[in-house]
Amino acid sequence: MKTKPKITLSVADEFSRTPGPRYEVEGDFSGESFRKSLLFPKLNKTIQDNSLLEINLDGTAGYGTSFLEEAFGGLIRHNKLNRETIKNSIQIISDEEEYLIDDIEKYLDDAAREAI
Amino acid sequence: MKKLYLTRKFVSYNKNHAKSLHIRALKHKAWKKGVNISELGHSPVERRQTHHRGLNNHSYKRIIAPINFSFIDNPNEVSSFIYKLKDAFNKRLKVFVWLDDVTKIDYGAIVVLLSIMIKYKSSNIDFDGGLPKNKGARKLLIQSGFFANLYKEFEMSDAYKIGEYDNEGICTHAQKNVDSLLSSQLITNATKTIWGETRRCQGVQRTLIELMQNTNNHASIGLPGEKHWWLSSYHNRKEKIVAFSFVDLGVGIFENLNNKTEKSKWYNWRTRIADRLKYGNNAELLRLILDGSLHRTVTESDFRGKGLPGIAQVLSRNQIQNLHIISNDAYANVSEGRYIKLDPPFDGTFVYWELTKENENKA
Repeated sequence: MKTKPKITLSVADEFSRTPGPRYEVEGDFSGESFRKSLLFPKLNKTIQDNSLLEINLDGTAGYGTSFLEEAFGGLIRHNKLNRETIKNSIQIISDEEEYLIDDIEKYLDDAAREAI
Repeated sequence: MKKLYLTRKFVSYNKNHAKSLHIRALKHKAWKKGVNISELGHSPVERRQTHHRGLNNHSYKRIIAPINFSFIDNPNEVSSFIYKLKDAFNKRLKVFVWLDDVTKIDYGAIVVLLSIMIKYKSSNIDFDGGLPKNKGARKLLIQSGFFANLYKEFEMSDAYKIGEYDNEGICTHAQKNVDSLLSSQLITNATKTIWGETRRCQGVQRTLIELMQNTNNHASIGLPGEKHWWLSSYHNRKEKIVAFSFVDLGVGIFENLNNKTEKSKWYNWRTRIADRLKYGNNAELLRLILDGSLHRTVTESDFRGKGLPGIAQVLSRNQIQNLHIISNDAYANVSEGRYIKLDPPFDGTFVYWELTKENENKA
């Protein structure tokens, strides 16, 4: 089976080591800002190129849940991406906090359910 | 003119007047000497306190702090004290906080006291206070920056900082937004105290962000970003423990839930949970909130690490310890599983936890 080419995105290296709140108005380094400036543009390119976006969550000071929910759930709510498309296009790395992967999967499921 | 000043009548008046002024000056000198002797060995703060009681006692409402001034050990009495301060604030009364008899004070009580002090001062209502006689309590209160700021003027601001990081110092920050950089810096400082080097504590960072986000979104109904959160960290270098105290003087957890609109999943939540309750009080509900079951019952979905149950999860992952939560009329010593009803209620949310060598961390 042919593996998809990878694009990488490290939150700590490319966005901030201190991810913050949900919305831009609530403080710096928000999930909204991360989605708008990095996650969606890179994911969009990944989808167009039929490649895989590897998102590395390690190396930060830690995450609030609202940041992750807005960054990933927002892809469905605001960027109108399909749950299946996202699932097939991203791979999340979180060795330091493994439970984040499961949480993000659920944020995506919830957002998809609410979008119906 | 000269002729007038030399008249017998004027000379006599002048002589008597000078004599009475001289007597008054001598009396004042003797009184001042007595005061100076009585204040020998007292700090400037104590001297001000003594003068204050003598001069303005009647114009200030005196509010007596509990002997055990610890919000986590003595929640009812501290809540009653806060209630009196809030009542006086609403009536715009000048207050003098009587701390003389305090024998025990902790960082949680201090951050609440500081937040109330700034609330008074930024509203131009006089707020004053005395020193505890107890040495330990006095030392802690001085370290907190309470007295250093007691006679300063404060304007309404989105951010405040009280105290400096020094040996065993308490530093307190206040803001309205979520400040993940500040919380990260506080954690970095804490890890230096505990492990002697910089480490990351993602559980503490999550706890702080969730609390700041909660205050920003929910502390005042319908007005996000209206209320300050107050965060204090105390470094006990001897025992290598850092204590965090977080407070907002907002509406509190239950008042916020009670005011959810029809659009919210939480609208009319009490009816949906009623059959699961034994006593029906908020202390019992706080237990259900923290174990996530209230969220599951009301919203029919998992809490996904969010909010207060997410903070309880941080505790269960051993990322923090000694977690206490107080909001409205509910008190929880989460670490020991002790939940009690608070009387009178505390208008706001208070959270206390500690970070020690035993807790999970990353290099």
